[in-house]
Amino acid sequence: MTSNQSSSALPPRLELCKVSTDPDPDYDVPLWGIDFALQPGELLLVRLERGHLNTPLADLALGLIEPREGQVRFNGSNWQRLSAPRAAQQRGRCGRFFVAQAWYTALPIDANICLAQQHHSQHPRTEIEAEAAALARFFGLPGLPLGEPTKARADDLDRAALVRAFLGNPELIILERPTRFLYPEIMPPLLNALQSARSKGAAVIWTTYDAEVWEEPALNPSLRGTMFGSRMQLNREE
Amino acid sequence: MNSVARLGAYTLDTWQELRYLAAMFWALAAASLRRQTWVRTVRNELVRQVYTNGVQATRFILYVSIAVGISVVSQALVWMQKIGQPKLLGPLLVTVLVREAVPVLTNLLAIGRNGTSMTLELGQMNIAGEVRMLDAQGLDPFVYLVLPRVLGLSIAVFCLNLFFLTGSLVSGYLFSALLAAKVGDPVSYLQSILNSVEALDLANFLLKSLLPALCTGIICCHEGLRLQGSVAKIPAATKRALANSVRALFFISALVSLLTYI
Repeated sequence: MTSNQSSSALPPRLELCKVSTDPDPDYDVPLWGIDFALQPGELLLVRLERGHLNTPLADLALGLIEPREGQVRFNGSNWQRLSAPRAAQQRGRCGRFFVAQAWYTALPIDANICLAQQHHSQHPRTEIEAEAAALARFFGLPGLPLGEPTKARADDLDRAALVRAFLGNPELIILERPTRFLYPEIMPPLLNALQSARSKGAAVIWTTYDAEVWEEPALNPSLRGTMFGSRMQLNREE
Repeated sequence: MNSVARLGAYTLDTWQELRYLAAMFWALAAASLRRQTWVRTVRNELVRQVYTNGVQATRFILYVSIAVGISVVSQALVWMQKIGQPKLLGPLLVTVLVREAVPVLTNLLAIGRNGTSMTLELGQMNIAGEVRMLDAQGLDPFVYLVLPRVLGLSIAVFCLNLFFLTGSLVSGYLFSALLAAKVGDPVSYLQSILNSVEALDLANFLLKSLLPALCTGIICCHEGLRLQGSVAKIPAATKRALANSVRALFFISALVSLLTYI
C-alpha cells in the first residue's frame, strides 16, 4: 500500500455532515446545512458576514454544542456518541484561538497557556513551558508571558492566545479572527506556524472578516467558505 | 396561586433539589474514585482549594475559636468547680463542643467565607465565558472546577474543625486559669475530655464535619455554574446558595445527631 492510499483510508480530520443548529442567543446566527470534510493538512478559510461575526462553527467543530440535524465527526468519531471523559480527551488534541478573550483569571497567563497540555499530556512541565516559550518568541513576545490576564494588553493576550492554540502539535486548529488586533505584523509568523502545523497533519479552520486576510495568497486554503446568513457557500481551491 | 399549589410547588422544588444533590454526590464519588480524574492540573487545583479554604482561613478560625473558648469553656470550668462536679467537665465539653458547636460553627464560617465566594467566582467565570473556554480545551468543568472545590472545601473544613476544637479548648483552659486557681492541671483537664469521647462522638464529628461541607460545595458550585446572562444575577444566586447551604447544614446536623445518639 502506498502512503497516498494509506492516508486516503484515514477518516477526515473534521467532518460536518449536513449540520444545522438551533437559534441560540449566544451566537449571532444559527447554521443551516453545513457540509464539508477537512483532511489532515487542509485549511478552511471562512469569510464572515457583517453583523454575524459570532457563529457556532467553532463550538460545533469541538462538539461543545449539539447540532439540531446532521453529525460532526472528529477523526471519524461522532462527538455526540463520545462519553464526557473521552470527548474532553479528544478536545485536548485541538487548539483554538477564541473569538473573545478567554482566560481562566485565577491563573497567570503562562499557566493558562500550558494548562491544557498539562492536563492532557504526560510531558514534564518544564518541557511544555520550554515549547510555549519558544512559540511565544516566535509570535513576537519576549518570552512566556507572566502576570494576570486581566492586566495584560489586548494585543499581547492575542499573541499569547496564538501560542496556546499552537502548543502541543494539535490535530485541529480553530482560529477565530486571529488577526483582528495584530494585522499585518502577525501574518509572517502565523503563516509559518500554520504551514508547519499543516505539514504535521493538522486541519485548520480560520474565520475572518478582513478582506486583506481573505485575499492573502500565502494562506493557501484548501477550502473557502463564505457565510450568507446561516448558509456557507463552499469552494474547493484547485 | 393558592396555598395548596404553593405548597405543592415548594415540595416539588425541594424534591428536585434533593435529587440533584444526590446525583451530584454520586457523580463526585464516581469521578473521585477514577484514577484518570486525578491528573496533575486537578491535583494542583485541589491543593489550591485546600490552601484557599483552609490555610488562609486559620487566622479567622483561631480568632473565633479563642472567643468561643473564653465564653463556653471557661464558664463550664468555673461552674463545674463551683458545684463541685469537676468530673462532669469532660462530658459537658464533649457534648457542647465536639458533638454540636464546633462542627456547626466551622461549617457556618466556611459557608460565609468560602461558599459564597465560590458561587461568586464560578458565576463570574460562567458569565465571562471562562467555563466554556476550559471545556473547549478539554478540561471538563465538573472535573476541573467542581470536584476540587467540593473536596477541597470538605478537607479544609475537617481540618479547621480540629483546629477550632483545639483552639477553643486551649484558650478556655488558659482563660479559666487566669480567672480561677482551681482549674486543675492541663493533663487532668485533657484526660477528662479524652475519657469522655466515645466512638460515636468521633463518627458524629466526622460526619458533621464532612457532609455539610460537601453539601455546601455542591450547592455553591451549582448556583454559580447555572448562572447565565448578566452579572446582576450573581447577588441573588449567592443569597440562594447561602440560604440553601445553611438549611442543609442544620438539617444534616440534626439528622446525624438523631441517628448517632437516639
